[in-house]
Amino acid sequence: MKEYFSRFAIENADDPMIIGAQISIALVTIGIIVGLTYFKKWGYLWRTWLTTVDHKKIGIMYILAALLMLFRGGVDALLMRAQTAIPDNGLLDAQHYNEIFTTHGVIMILFMAMPFIIGLMNVVIPLQIGARDVAFPRLNAVSFWLFFIGAMLFNISFVIGGSPDAGWTAYFPLASNDYSHTVGMNYYAIAIQIAGIGTLMTGINFITTIMKMRAPGMTLMKMPMFTWSILITNLIIVFAFPVLTIALALMTMDRLFGTHFFSIDSGGMDMLWANLFWIWGHPEVYIVILPAFGIFSEIITTFAQRNLYGYKSMVFSMVAISALSFVVWTHHFYTMGHGVVVNGFFSITTMAIAVPTGVKIFNWLLTLWKGKIHFTVPMLYAMGFIPIFVIGGVTGVMLAMASADYQYHNTMFLVAHFHYVLIPGTVFGVLAGFTFWWPKIFGFSLSERIGKWAFWFIAISFNVTFFPLFISGLSGQARRMYTYSENAGFTIYNMISFVGALGLAFGFLLIVYNIYWSTRYAKRHLTEDPWNGRSLEWATHSPVPEYNFAIIPQVDSTEAFWDQKEHGKALFKGNIEPIHMPNNSGQPFIMSAIFFVFGFAMVFSMWIVAIISAIGIFACMWYRSFENDHGHYIPVEEIEATERKSGVIANED
Amino acid sequence: MSLKELFPAKYVTGFIFSLVLTVAALSVLYFDLSYQIGLSILIVTAFIQAGVQLVMFMHVGESEDKISIYTHTYYAVAMGLIIVIGTLFTMIWGYQ
Amino acid sequence: MKIDHSVPKEYATEENRLKIFGFWIFIGAEVALFGTLFATYLTLVGHTATGPTGSEIFEIGPVLIETFVLLTSSFLIGLSVHAMRLGNKKAMLTFLGLTLLLGLTFLGVEIYEFTTYVHEGAGLQTSAFTAALLTLLGTHGAHVTLGLFWGLAIIIQVSKRGITPETANKSFIFSLYWHFLDVIWIFIFSFVYLKGLM
Repeated sequence: MKEYFSRFAIENADDPMIIGAQISIALVTIGIIVGLTYFKKWGYLWRTWLTTVDHKKIGIMYILAALLMLFRGGVDALLMRAQTAIPDNGLLDAQHYNEIFTTHGVIMILFMAMPFIIGLMNVVIPLQIGARDVAFPRLNAVSFWLFFIGAMLFNISFVIGGSPDAGWTAYFPLASNDYSHTVGMNYYAIAIQIAGIGTLMTGINFITTIMKMRAPGMTLMKMPMFTWSILITNLIIVFAFPVLTIALALMTMDRLFGTHFFSIDSGGMDMLWANLFWIWGHPEVYIVILPAFGIFSEIITTFAQRNLYGYKSMVFSMVAISALSFVVWTHHFYTMGHGVVVNGFFSITTMAIAVPTGVKIFNWLLTLWKGKIHFTVPMLYAMGFIPIFVIGGVTGVMLAMASADYQYHNTMFLVAHFHYVLIPGTVFGVLAGFTFWWPKIFGFSLSERIGKWAFWFIAISFNVTFFPLFISGLSGQARRMYTYSENAGFTIYNMISFVGALGLAFGFLLIVYNIYWSTRYAKRHLTEDPWNGRSLEWATHSPVPEYNFAIIPQVDSTEAFWDQKEHGKALFKGNIEPIHMPNNSGQPFIMSAIFFVFGFAMVFSMWIVAIISAIGIFACMWYRSFENDHGHYIPVEEIEATERKSGVIANED
Repeated sequence: MSLKELFPAKYVTGFIFSLVLTVAALSVLYFDLSYQIGLSILIVTAFIQAGVQLVMFMHVGESEDKISIYTHTYYAVAMGLIIVIGTLFTMIWGYQ
Repeated sequence: MKIDHSVPKEYATEENRLKIFGFWIFIGAEVALFGTLFATYLTLVGHTATGPTGSEIFEIGPVLIETFVLLTSSFLIGLSVHAMRLGNKKAMLTFLGLTLLLGLTFLGVEIYEFTTYVHEGAGLQTSAFTAALLTLLGTHGAHVTLGLFWGLAIIIQVSKRGITPETANKSFIFSLYWHFLDVIWIFIFSFVYLKGLM
């Protein structure tokens, strides 16, 4: 018995951090169960959140999960910076440090950035295109719960079995059983696989939604720029994620079934893993940056009060970026030994991809030119993004050159580069979007005052944290090393970086405080259009009713709502009719719970449990096939009552 | 219902054409051809047969969405080629 | 649900059109999926270590049977959809049933093929080549297996509920899936077996 259960133990189980985590997880879980029971909220939780197929609620859950994961990934970051701040520091040993930079990378990219973006996508897109929901609401719920279960599975590795420790890129042979014999890398392969299935479904869902459910009159070239960015992002998702699916499946087979895809013996090719991983991995970083570009387009036009300069070139540049993103991947492993032709080809394509991005930067600047600029919190993020992201971008062009990359590769220069594009790009983008669309979802705004303090702490601290790493990287500081000696000469840069990290932490805490403070003190229901917005999502009530629009809007231009306000062009014509909405369903949650059991069983090679739960998953699909659920209609009286309560009857013409 | 109604010409033609293409592909085994010519025959017959399936069986052009679906299909084929050829380029040919 | 009677039933409602569109997108994703498996196979095809090569284990006989069986089943599912559009439920179900029967035959031959390989010393763990080969073929076979169950569910629903916009939509989407599996097999036939035996 003891032997059976010992497989779930961590290798150095008496570590205070692990014990602390185990205790807190247990306490929080008990606290949640007790709290829900005491306040009799189980029914509410089930009906309103666990079974919802409403894109707005699903979006909120994604964003909440992303914020929690931001916290965990951030703690990882602080620990790393603290460890490297002092030479030969004893805070973290090598094994721990490896686990921490691995989980930091996986969590920040796959369980923080992706859900944050997908959450904003869920909340905003149907509203921006004048639709009532996404094309496949039930599938949307499945996407969320599969992501959630994947994230839970990944997080539990810390306390049951051991975290993955081969870097977020999991190169072979290090990631193979020979060199990573704990179950940590199994968690990596399986948790990301499950979450990835959810993301692929999101891709299919949103392409269909955007292509087929736009309001009448909204041609493709009249869509808001955020919608364009999301359409293109989802196209990348549809073609990139299957590659990851196979790569992770092959890794799982190597680790669990003794195959030789990436092994060093029996004909395996370890470099093939790097190749397949990056065929997915490079488009992935464009998946996380294009939505940020879309968000910044919305914010810059709103707060400069001008329409976007060069709409067509913005669209074409994003199409070009997405196409090029699939032919640059080898730049992540220039130094693995292939010849000049390969490295030359990919250097050229990688440098080329900077061009359409540059076009976008110039278009944003030209949008600002002669605009009436309001420095709200979202606008501050957009203004910070432009110069800081450009630094990241130009260092990317430096790295693009294969011969030079032999000097930069796997130094802190690379680490600084990608943080300089990810944080001012993706993180600023989602924080700005979060602040921008918050009032639409919740009916009150976040505090501008606290938000501005948070922005400045984050923007300045970010540069303090990462700029020194350019210098130390060029001086030779390698990445993914748990300590450096005094005479390497990197101490001063790492110490400055650590101070910056503390500032970043404080900035993020201010954001959390802002949420608390505003929820408690901010005035409710002041206006549905707090920012003087330009696109259709601002033409709804705040918070948005279940059906989004009582009457589907008729659109005539790129900025339909702005035209209604400025030129009196009516959006909502005709009468209210009964609205068809999908029913809630417990199946997505239940099927995902079974997926969790399946994933856990696979991680620990518990084959009987895995087979039974796999049958369970197919049983859910079989049941779904025979289901006769056709949704419900909201009667006209109910719609009219909701509209009246929210302040305005919808047919204003 | 008559046989003519149940077995429309389009499908029968497509089926026969697919069989012909399959036999043509088999020729690489039964004739003494160079590697390049053999591979070319395989590529041509495979893509044509895939096209037959797409157009004559899957009705790719029949709905209001045909432009989107055709575009998507071209993109998918391009992706497939990039993944296969890009991998071979990076993993094998790039070393020679 | 507004039904448009001027188009085939599977396109007749808004929801139906969305589902067909969404499934075409899914097929694009599957192209990337199988593309990755092909890329892996073609990279590792020479990595036979101490195990056998393709030309040593491939037998053209069973492969031709598999090819002919799958091609015919693709023809039959096309006839099934055509019969469905004519409103002929009996013909539709007959063709669909025959499709699934041929699919089952395909799987039978493939299982025979795999067990033969294992007996000849070409198992999943033998070499990188065998791993890539069996994973590519196995993934296709797993898709066919899933298709058999899916097709069975549709047969049950159509016989019980008749040809409605819902069942027509499901049947049409299933036919897209089945045709796609044949397209993949064409590439497997050409670039795994024929190329390997050349």
